[in-house]
Amino acid sequence: MAEADSYVALFVDFANELRLAELSIGSGDVLSYCAAMAALDPTNLIDLYWGGRTTLVTRRDNIATYDSVFRRFFLDEADDLPAELKLDIRSHSELRSVLNVPATEPGVAGGDEQETRLGLVGSDIEVIKGKAFTACTPEELAALRRIMAQIRLSPPRRRTRRTASATSGRRPDPRRTVRETMRMHGEPSQLFWRRRRLRLRPLILILDVSGSMADYSRNLLQFAYSAKRASTRVEVFCFGTRLTRITRQLERRRVDDALARAAKVVFDWEGGTRIGDSIGAFVRDWGRRGLCRGGIVVICSDGLDRGDPAVLAAAMERLSRLCHRVVWMNPHKGNNVDFAPSTLGMMVAAPHIDLVLSGHDLNSLEELAELLPSLK
Amino acid sequence: MDRPQTVDQLTRTLRDGDYLADRGLATALFVSLSLDRPILLEGEVGVGKTEVAKVIAEVFGRKLIRLQCYEGIEVNQALYEWDYARQMLAIRALSEQNLADEDSVDKLFGPNYLLERPLLEAVRAGDRAVLLIDEVDRADDEFEAFLLEVLSDFQVSIPEIGTIAAETKPIVILTSNRTRELHDALKRRCLYHWIGFPTAEQEVAIVMVREPGASEALAQKVVAAVNRLRGLELAKPPGVAESIDWVRTLDVLGENDLDARVAGDTLGAVIKERDDLELVRDNLEEITAGG
Repeated sequence: MAEADSYVALFVDFANELRLAELSIGSGDVLSYCAAMAALDPTNLIDLYWGGRTTLVTRRDNIATYDSVFRRFFLDEADDLPAELKLDIRSHSELRSVLNVPATEPGVAGGDEQETRLGLVGSDIEVIKGKAFTACTPEELAALRRIMAQIRLSPPRRRTRRTASATSGRRPDPRRTVRETMRMHGEPSQLFWRRRRLRLRPLILILDVSGSMADYSRNLLQFAYSAKRASTRVEVFCFGTRLTRITRQLERRRVDDALARAAKVVFDWEGGTRIGDSIGAFVRDWGRRGLCRGGIVVICSDGLDRGDPAVLAAAMERLSRLCHRVVWMNPHKGNNVDFAPSTLGMMVAAPHIDLVLSGHDLNSLEELAELLPSLK
Repeated sequence: MDRPQTVDQLTRTLRDGDYLADRGLATALFVSLSLDRPILLEGEVGVGKTEVAKVIAEVFGRKLIRLQCYEGIEVNQALYEWDYARQMLAIRALSEQNLADEDSVDKLFGPNYLLERPLLEAVRAGDRAVLLIDEVDRADDEFEAFLLEVLSDFQVSIPEIGTIAAETKPIVILTSNRTRELHDALKRRCLYHWIGFPTAEQEVAIVMVREPGASEALAQKVVAAVNRLRGLELAKPPGVAESIDWVRTLDVLGENDLDARVAGDTLGAVIKERDDLELVRDNLEEITAGG
């Protein structure tokens, strides 16, 4: 019995350790963990590992955290492995940026010339730094927050397969008809109908946080936060040189918390731009699983891509086939009505975009909010 | 068949049903069986999430009750439905012949007029059934709320009849392709396991179990090629099901070896996207090279 008690104490400690690593584990989970271990053999390392993983982990993203805590807690191994992993990610991206520097190589001179002529050049050094979003002046933030809180985003609706009772419609509602008939002592009085319900389409924001967009991206992030608060099905991604999902980080009541958490996970704040790769990553990792199916994808970027235009074109084509509508917000559009895309990135992406808006000031964001419901 | 006593025993039992489970999956299933808890399986497409439910039903001699989720699925398609047409006819008959008495209304909402749908069927069947709730991520999130009561208490409330509770719990397996995150409330009621791609040796073994007629050399070659395909950043990487399909396709064609020509002809068994096809066609030589 004493032995069993000491096991339970150990398991509870382990669960606490996981909680410290920001896994959300309730007492109920600990109970089922202990029950699972009672059915297994706790002295067997493999049982010990899988018993916990199957009861305490509920998300794929948390498996890595579980592994490292398990290693530290039960195997007394220091955290050197995850550190190496982190280092690896950094050196990998540095490597990529070095590989990507050939802006001066003779082979790509043509493309370069064009960009120089246009006078717009994306930064090609990938700077990895966690710059705080809260770096805006307090007055700026307060003003933005006040106004943005008023922008209500309502994505267009679509008819779902789910039906609801209605006074008129196409399909009869036998359940309600029978019930009413019973109420009328068996006399069928009236036919009731069902009609397909309407539902908001999901909204996906993909924000460019690279150097050339730095002035706008802070606003955009604020905007993303208010959008996330306003509508339920909003997904937010950031990209510079690589794509980061910040939807979960923005799920905070306090806007400062949300933005600070988002800043922590975005590595490449104000770095270079690789739109093609980032959109490609979105399509590959999120889009094809159905995240944006039937949804409205809003990309906020200036289209200054340091990557291969063909990659961007292919990614945009796939994206446009996966989602319902693509909106591109380009701050360089400004208030220009007859704006024609001038950057290479915008040019190759243009055929797959349904609507181009500017994102340079609050007015344009309001314009987006206004146009959104009409994108049926 | 009785519940397994150890993880190894369960692994062997599944093996008898032609399903090779790795240690992680076997442990997760064993815990789920021991604790009578539903298990949620997530993983890439074609790694055998649905298959495991079928095999468990088969090896334990239970009935497989499958609820395929889809957008717009509602309670009356998942739980129960009254047979309205029969009810209407009965009402007509009763009123025409003046047969209505005290009980006739009760009878109208009695078991005779109740159509069982998968969840109710599973609750009634109890431990004689394996309930597979397939691709739960396809259903709207409102639908998950219906599942909560069933999954935690194994009971179904029908206002006209009362609560029907399972005397013994069925084995419940949920699968999801992660097109959206499921609600935490649903996850809390389940055990969780992520099925990844198997190692090359495991995959060869799986292919050999599923397609015993094929030669092992061919299976190895196909698995090696499929593994290279997975490294290509395809829009839809092939799963284990595709490896099996490919070997089967080659078997039907009577091919004993996989070279660039044969692979090119049979690519439709593994690659199901046009963009991917183009990418793969350019690299066929490397993909089929070696063993």
